Amino acid sequence: MRAGAFPSRLRSTRLTSQLGVALGVAFAVCFLTGLLSHLIQDPPGWFWWPARPVGLYRFTQGLHVATGLATVPLLGAKLWSAYPHLFAWPPVRSVAHALERASVGVLVAAALFQVVGGVLNVSRWYAPMPFFFTAGHYWVAWLAVGALLVHIGVHLPTVRGALARPAAGPPPGRLSRRGLLGGVVAAAGLITLTTVGQTVRPLSGLAVLAPRRPDVGPQGLPVNKTADNAGVRARALDPSYRLAVVGPAGRADLDLAALHAFAQHTADLPIACVEGWSATGRWTGVRLRDLVALVGGDPDRAEVLVESLEAAGRYRASTVAPAHARDPLTLIALRLDGEPLHPDHGYPARLIAPNRPGVLQTKWVARITVREPR
Amino acid sequence: MRVRSVLVAVGVLLMGYAVVGGSADPDLKPAGVLLFLAGVLAGHDLVWMVVLLTGGAAVARCVPGRHRPVARAAAISAAALTVVAVPLVLGFGRPPDNPSVLPLPYGRNLAAVLLLVAGAALAAGLAADRRGRPAAGRGRGRSTAGRKRSERPGGGGPPPAGR
Repeated sequence: MRAGAFPSRLRSTRLTSQLGVALGVAFAVCFLTGLLSHLIQDPPGWFWWPARPVGLYRFTQGLHVATGLATVPLLGAKLWSAYPHLFAWPPVRSVAHALERASVGVLVAAALFQVVGGVLNVSRWYAPMPFFFTAGHYWVAWLAVGALLVHIGVHLPTVRGALARPAAGPPPGRLSRRGLLGGVVAAAGLITLTTVGQTVRPLSGLAVLAPRRPDVGPQGLPVNKTADNAGVRARALDPSYRLAVVGPAGRADLDLAALHAFAQHTADLPIACVEGWSATGRWTGVRLRDLVALVGGDPDRAEVLVESLEAAGRYRASTVAPAHARDPLTLIALRLDGEPLHPDHGYPARLIAPNRPGVLQTKWVARITVREPR
Repeated sequence: MRVRSVLVAVGVLLMGYAVVGGSADPDLKPAGVLLFLAGVLAGHDLVWMVVLLTGGAAVARCVPGRHRPVARAAAISAAALTVVAVPLVLGFGRPPDNPSVLPLPYGRNLAAVLLLVAGAALAAGLAADRRGRPAAGRGRGRSTAGRKRSERPGGGGPPPAGR
């Protein structure tokens, strides 16, 4: 590639370093919040997640998606600033250089995979991704972070030197480096302003490019999976519906009247989706701990398996850990805002618990199994 | 050097963990992941960068020098907003039975936001013209090192030295 093929004098080691530091912070935020979400959904034995604060997951996952979206201009500018290196000549100087270039290739591909895949996921456009998004996003996150650490290790002295050096001013008529960084920050700010209202309710009026609005959906609340999509509508509306509650002391089959005969409790709890939107509902129903006690379980120590009417599907059942099962806010909800649940919100009964991802708030609950503490 | 070695070693280990773990995950089709990795890389380096550089060259050719900084900043915002909004505008993820997914008229909304960005850029350009001076890059010295902070022009100036 001839000298001057990339004429912009904006590109510099300093600019690339500054963008790199910002991008590193954004990736760290996304990686940690994403890992947390993964652990909550698929907890290993050592992992513990509290029921309070109620909106903690809503915050961490909202931050995950908002940071990921704001990363779009940052990653774009960073790759633009480093683009000429793609055409470095000779392409390979040594084995070490070849390995370093290969790791950069992995980093760029993995970073684009995460950001582009994330944008496609929140818009629920899965056709371009020939793999299960959740698993791909998770494993490529490790790939991206590994490649990022290698990249930082290789370039640390260059970055330190570039950030310590006095910066040159821009030539007349050209965007300064600060101007470019300001442009990137403005772009990230605009993206955030037009999307973050999907989880920050006061900004929902500005969320003109958000995939969801917290107040749009049946009963004023968004829906992820509908009753038709889950294939449960007929069984959910069947008058012969019974909720089976199974525990150490036996089994109870409760119809809707029996469920309504329990003490009813109301809780304001959010549905916090892994896709970054969230919305609070006013739920009324039976405390899960009361049902645990009904079948002889210890409400303070029991773990509960909640299963849906769905015949199959990745999220047809969820395990409620003791911290959530004993929480007085954890309900088998029968009503939303005083009305019976809409079929798409889980009629006749759904699980709603504080500080959990939406996919674990099982809808159309058919069976509750109380497990003795291990 | 020690820190760098540790970073590289941990990085290689994590990459290895990703490859081994991903290959062993029954939920993951490695071929699909590899295809998408290659696709986004090629799409970015061979298509998106060409579009971006062509756009940058067009700004350089069509916009008078003094207005270029504002035009470029606006173009960055427009490009980034478009990337985020295009899947929403296309609306392929909108299921027929769930009106709460992608509920907004995203094409109209994106156009409105882009118009706002263009309007703000135009207003900034006009304001600079009215002042009768270029908006940025007013013949500064090459370094700020010898200058007191208060003497430096605000906004659009070079980053402070010696961080």
